[in-house]
Amino acid sequence: MSLWLDLAAGGLITGGIYAVVAIGLNLQYGLMRIMNISHGEFLMVGAYLAYFAYTGLGLNPLLALPGIAGTLFLLGLLVYRLCFRRIVRTAPGVEAIEARSLLVGFGLLFIVQNAAFVAWGADLRGYEFLAVPVDLAGARFGANRLVVFAFALAASLLLLVVLRFTLLGKAVRAVMQSPTGAHLVGIDTAVLHPVVFSVGLALAGVAGALLSMVYEISPSMGEPYTVTALIVITLGGLGSALGSLLGGLLLGLVETFGMHFTSPSLKMLLSYGVFVAVLLLRPRGLFAR
Amino acid sequence: MSRRAPLALVLGAGAVLAPMPWLLSDFLLSLALSCLMYAGLAASWAMFSGATNYLSLATAAFFGLGAYVTAWGVAALPWPAVVAGGGLVAAAFAALVGAAILRVRGAYFAVLTFGLGELVRHAVTYGEKRYAGTVGRVLATAPSPATVYLTVLLIAVAAVGVAVLVRGSRFGRALAGIGADEERAETLGVDTRRVKVAGFALSAFFAGALGAGVAVRWTYIDPPAVFNPFIGFQTVLIAMVGGAGTVGGPVASAVVFSLFTEFLRLRFPYAYLIVLGVLLIALVLYLPGGIASLWERPGRRRAEAPSAEAAGG
Repeated sequence: MSLWLDLAAGGLITGGIYAVVAIGLNLQYGLMRIMNISHGEFLMVGAYLAYFAYTGLGLNPLLALPGIAGTLFLLGLLVYRLCFRRIVRTAPGVEAIEARSLLVGFGLLFIVQNAAFVAWGADLRGYEFLAVPVDLAGARFGANRLVVFAFALAASLLLLVVLRFTLLGKAVRAVMQSPTGAHLVGIDTAVLHPVVFSVGLALAGVAGALLSMVYEISPSMGEPYTVTALIVITLGGLGSALGSLLGGLLLGLVETFGMHFTSPSLKMLLSYGVFVAVLLLRPRGLFAR
Repeated sequence: MSRRAPLALVLGAGAVLAPMPWLLSDFLLSLALSCLMYAGLAASWAMFSGATNYLSLATAAFFGLGAYVTAWGVAALPWPAVVAGGGLVAAAFAALVGAAILRVRGAYFAVLTFGLGELVRHAVTYGEKRYAGTVGRVLATAPSPATVYLTVLLIAVAAVGVAVLVRGSRFGRALAGIGADEERAETLGVDTRRVKVAGFALSAFFAGALGAGVAVRWTYIDPPAVFNPFIGFQTVLIAMVGGAGTVGGPVASAVVFSLFTEFLRLRFPYAYLIVLGVLLIALVLYLPGGIASLWERPGRRRAEAPSAEAAGG
């Protein structure tokens, strides 16, 4: 019994992180059709910022979270202005936006990842934060993992609340439903697009900072998370923040249980298998009505 | 331009390049081999993905499958059979999965084909470890460098030649029709499903054959090397930079890129990729039609009014 509880808890903790990474990407894709394949690189930047804040300034990573989110938000405004604004404005159609933003995403991936290699080297780095075991319901967990899960869940829920109950959230949902209709009622996409894009990057940064408390970090850590985020979005459905949250938790569970009952070297095989299967059988997501 | 002229040009270039193994130094020959490999990969990629707008990142999967056919068979089978086998295995694989995944369009297709490459890589890694007990394979027997060069030259010329032929054919028009408007093509009587699968498999054949032909360059191969997603990205990049709707553009940019890579990548690996990223972004933003749009008038550009409603999906 305790084994199942252990696995379930481990899966949910991983899944919570997946959800945060995926929600940011999902907002960008749902709203602007920007498939930002460099999403994971900004996660990596967030992880390094947390690492330097902790080792250099002695700053508690949890306290650094707002600063990291803010930094990546500003970075997001810059990236959007330099790279994506022109695509969204000049592309002849949705497919062109998707294809071009995908290529630009690859360009950003090359730039950010290799700049990180040049600046910080290829070594794995890590720091100890709250690495003490805690007993909970008869199972033991690292305190840092529980904190990470709590923050990941809180960030996802906060975003859900913002989308559901604020005017900004209403505007975002309106543009997703009907861009023309949203224009007609006076929603300004020239403001909304950069803001939502940057919120996506800020979420990636927060996820990276949270991850740095538990795992070692390196310049190439981001890519797998981008792929995972794409799988989660597919599971949860395009543009659905709640779907991303559920999809993330589900994928975390599938991976943890699957790895336990088969073999750890099958982890990627499992997640790609789930991805391909869902895309072919339920292309609009598991929770689509 | 007559339809024969480009084909004659391709064959002529092939004939000129054939005696190179006896004229060039080893270093220059390996450089020429890289140029030919990427020219073949980019031309065959553009033949399908450039025409249909199905952005495939599966090139690494086909290339790697071909390379593994060589690894498994080079000691036992005659060389031409190995290379043809690599192409056929890749084409069969593409036809099989294509029947399922070519229903998905847009960014999903790109991501799906990328995932497919990773899936094959992990499956091969797992299978080799489980059943052969190895991580990689040493290629003890290999044909002479001249044979390898001529093989790759033959495949590259065939890939470019077939791309030229397809462009002028009914089949090529059907592919381009799918790229312009799939539903309209279907209404006009194109069997879109079969055309897509056939195009995908044909393009995969060349990628697989190139993988099989080039694999013997390395004496040791393992899944991370031959299923390297970078091979897929570089192919897409070359084709898009050259102009995916053309044949000449990808070939020209393959030569430029290979030279660029060979000289910069080894000396400044990180800076090279940063420059590549900047170039890629600049090209997509300011020259979305590729280099070829500088000299070729886009004859079949879509006159499509930007529809704001469609952007919502």
